[in-house]
Amino acid sequence: MNASRHYLAKAYFVGRRLISEIMTQVFRYVGKKLVRVDGYTKVTGLEKFTIDIQLPGMLYGRILRSPYAHAIVKEIDTGEAERMGAVVVTFKDVPKVPFNPRLVSIHEVTYRDWLVLTDRPLYVGEPIAAVAAETEEKAQRALEAIKVKYEVLEPILDPLEAMKPGKPLLHKRIYLGDKEVEVKNNIACELRYKEGDPDRGFKESDIVLERVYRTNRRYHMQLEPRGAVCRPEPDGGITLWTTTQTIHNTRILINQIFGIPISKINVVRLPIGGGFGSSIHANMATLICVALALKARRPVKLIYTREEDMHDHVGFSMIFRIKGGAKKDGTLMAGELETVVDVGAHQVQPYPLLGCLLGWFVSLYKWRNVRYVGRAVYTNKVPACAIRGFGNPELHWAVESFLDELAEELGMDPIDLKLKNYVGLGDVFWGQGPTVRSVIRSDGVKELIKEGAKLIGWDKRLKPSERKGTVRRGVGFARGFHTSGTGGPLSGHVIDLSWALVKVNVDGSVEYITPLIDHGGGTLFAHAKIVAEELGVPLSKVRIVPSDTHMTGYDVCTHASRGVYVGGEAARRAAAKVKKKLLEYAARILDVPNPEALRIEPDEELSQGVIYVEGAPEKRITVGEVARIAWQKNWGSIAELVSYRATNCPPTFTAYFVEVEVDTETGVVRPVKVVAGADVGTPINPDLVAGQLHGGFVMGWSMAILEDVVHDPKTGELMNKGFITDYKIPTATDIPPVDDFIVILAKTREPTGPFGAKGIGEAATNPVAAAVANAIYNAIGIRFYELPITPEKILKALKERRG
Amino acid sequence: MVDISRFNTHILPVRFEYFAPETLDEVIELLKTYGEEAKILAGGTDLLVKMKQRLASPKYVISLRKVKELDFIEVGDDGIHIGAATKLRRLERSDVIRRRLPVLYEAIKSMASVQVRNMATIGGNLCNASPAADTAPPLLVLDAKLKIMGPEGARVVPIDKFFLGPGKTVLKPTELLTEIIVPHPKEGTGTAFIKVSRVAMDLAKVNIAVALRLGSGDVIEHVRIALGAVAPTPMRAYKAEEFLLGKEFSEENIVKAAEIVSGEVRPITDIRSTAEYRRELSKVLTKRALKIAYERIRMR
Repeated sequence: MNASRHYLAKAYFVGRRLISEIMTQVFRYVGKKLVRVDGYTKVTGLEKFTIDIQLPGMLYGRILRSPYAHAIVKEIDTGEAERMGAVVVTFKDVPKVPFNPRLVSIHEVTYRDWLVLTDRPLYVGEPIAAVAAETEEKAQRALEAIKVKYEVLEPILDPLEAMKPGKPLLHKRIYLGDKEVEVKNNIACELRYKEGDPDRGFKESDIVLERVYRTNRRYHMQLEPRGAVCRPEPDGGITLWTTTQTIHNTRILINQIFGIPISKINVVRLPIGGGFGSSIHANMATLICVALALKARRPVKLIYTREEDMHDHVGFSMIFRIKGGAKKDGTLMAGELETVVDVGAHQVQPYPLLGCLLGWFVSLYKWRNVRYVGRAVYTNKVPACAIRGFGNPELHWAVESFLDELAEELGMDPIDLKLKNYVGLGDVFWGQGPTVRSVIRSDGVKELIKEGAKLIGWDKRLKPSERKGTVRRGVGFARGFHTSGTGGPLSGHVIDLSWALVKVNVDGSVEYITPLIDHGGGTLFAHAKIVAEELGVPLSKVRIVPSDTHMTGYDVCTHASRGVYVGGEAARRAAAKVKKKLLEYAARILDVPNPEALRIEPDEELSQGVIYVEGAPEKRITVGEVARIAWQKNWGSIAELVSYRATNCPPTFTAYFVEVEVDTETGVVRPVKVVAGADVGTPINPDLVAGQLHGGFVMGWSMAILEDVVHDPKTGELMNKGFITDYKIPTATDIPPVDDFIVILAKTREPTGPFGAKGIGEAATNPVAAAVANAIYNAIGIRFYELPITPEKILKALKERRG
Repeated sequence: MVDISRFNTHILPVRFEYFAPETLDEVIELLKTYGEEAKILAGGTDLLVKMKQRLASPKYVISLRKVKELDFIEVGDDGIHIGAATKLRRLERSDVIRRRLPVLYEAIKSMASVQVRNMATIGGNLCNASPAADTAPPLLVLDAKLKIMGPEGARVVPIDKFFLGPGKTVLKPTELLTEIIVPHPKEGTGTAFIKVSRVAMDLAKVNIAVALRLGSGDVIEHVRIALGAVAPTPMRAYKAEEFLLGKEFSEENIVKAAEIVSGEVRPITDIRSTAEYRRELSKVLTKRALKIAYERIRMR
């Protein structure tokens, strides 16, 4: 063991590739496939989620939602519901404080246009009132006893229509930070940018292409519908259990709206049954639950039905116009991106999305001269929010399709064109729009493409014109990235902070206290590994302690694939500080002049970390004994906390090769083989990284060929009424068997990440839809500019081609 | 207008009286008493969802859960008898069904998930009368007969006379389906079932079943073609069957028959697919199903 430690120290000084190979060998927990700590409680159903919280005297809440996409409430009569014994809140009872439920960006760039309950519903499902009663059934009956008279207005559902002059405005005045601003042409927010001289760039290009792409509107379909349980406390405070990706932002928002001092609001950290971006913002269930509990002065549980959940959040849909110019040799000369984002009825911070779309555009390829116009537009639809990738899967689909087409025009292999122009090692990367930039320090792109191309047989790929028969195969490639967190050397528009506390107890056990939410991907298990690795104690000794906002410092949110890269580094730094203190105390006990002479190793037999001096076997003591002596001798607690700001936002690169089969008589597309490559730096949980790639593929596959939230063009109702019978996602039987899904990980190391790690959650899905679309093109020679590429569309296009 | 505050698949706020009789006689007695205001609860995978969605609000719910005499698979001289309240999962796992009625087995296998098949019953699938009911096309091509009982006694209805429209059957409010009788397919019959849906675990965009028997020189002696989700009810393609009967099994004739089928179907555009696509698929799947059935005959 001592020898291996020595080896590790040496390995730092040799080449990049060698480092990671040696590192994997010497790590004890990092990079190992181990059974995650929450695995047992999850598969046995013992884990407690929001819906499992039961409190004495608890009432059940239900929400009265607008059946109209655009209306004014003229009258509301809650008398009957109250006579039935229900507690009722309406738009009259909630604070008239306009807010934005997402607090990830700084106040000055945050547009506020929401109220907890409204008399001006702007989408089918917007909350008007809510009730709480002894049972869900009683609450439902009371809800149905509320009488509402609406003046029904015409809904606007198409963002391009909404922008036309003379169209009614959904919002007249909204707030930007503390300023009141007027809304023009239903444009919620706008961002323009120019770099270099794009007009000259296009002039100097040998070839210029221009294409328009339309994405679908996807529902998150996270396993756990959103909800909350709120208990009013005797001192006027509240305790809150809720589905959120951020406990601290939830509490700050409640303070903003309800005026409860932050010190009296406690939001409990719970596991969450998937987020995919649907709870970066506070869900309306949370805020309405608080309103009900405050009025009822009793605990209230409010959990969405699946149908309500689908009327509560959805991903943004987008229209892109891309113009790109290149020299004959494939050098990109100019890129222009115009985007219209359909935000629905309210803003869940689409302004940073506009910045991100630009950032993703300039970070994919070196366009050299860039022009960008981004507009986010109001429509009478369910408010849109982030969905795994924050615009990146959509933008990747457009750009990676565009470059495929450009390569064909240039007579180049798309891989060569992409490698020639991609943003990589040493380049500046935009992790979260124009104000979040850092230099790329690890880059496995070439390695992934080389290996992936070999595994899929890229060289043997036929041209579309060479594919024959009823069922045609096609191979597609797309690459890309996602950021790891939103840190950077400068403080920009985005808040990115993490917090961690590590404590060593007198029995040698370790408590890890974090406000960071694990969506189910194993983020906190990665943290536990990082703490054990850094500290040198057995992994089984590290407990991830239940926590809440009272006992933790600020963490912004588990979003932007930052859980491991930023949160994990905070944990590592706290562990390193604790280790320093442990060694100081141990040096005192062992009579060693300099603590740096000491090492800690986990001793699995003793189930303890052991501190020792190399070459002096008599100088040994367990971690627990050090902590015990520090207690008995009144030296102090061994506990350290860290508030951490990452100074980088390294991209995790991914590359997908997908082989599909297109049935030209039915239009049905089937995935045959997938090679999923990822450069995550050091994989802390390699099996869970692979799991993210599997899941990321399924989500991207589904985006490419299947999903769309469709509204009735006249009424604005969801065509499926919220029933998931008619909102399908693939299951295990729809994707290739595990043997035909190959995962490759680049042998890189990110120097700024914990033990060399980067994120994976979003990068895993970003290039997938593009790779699938490129594969469909390779199979049948037809490009589709609108998602999803359904069998109906394929069959129609094939028919049109036949004439 | 959809009132989202009312429609969900979680809360059942309506009051109803629940009966769990143990014999068929008791069920019929209850139906006689409550008739129009009662609903039969078999597996509940359709009824309970409808009740939560407020599309059905029976005052009385009569459960078949304890009625053992409706849960059986028996081989008789005249055919295979299946109790209406037999779970799909039991049928799927039955050797009798798999060996003797492979087309029904294939259809059941394609339905929903194991969890749902553990609850859902074959009678429930038929009585729900969805145009997309997956058990209907196989039973249509097998010329199944349905035994119906009520206070006035029993009657037997051929399955192609059972469905009247979406959610509508010939059952009177006081009647229930008790048994499905599937005549033994004649020696040499080849069958096939195909379903096209958005994902594997889904309702059909189009489903199809065929049964085929050939005489010497590949002359078609017997043919049945049935489709789902392309008309208000599961349907037989009578004109295509008539065209094929007595003709040689050839590519040309199959293509013609498929054309006829695409003229016979009356599909609509809905959230699952378009009328145009369903019509096209009816043609494609007819060809494919007939060819599979043919291959299966040849493989023997």
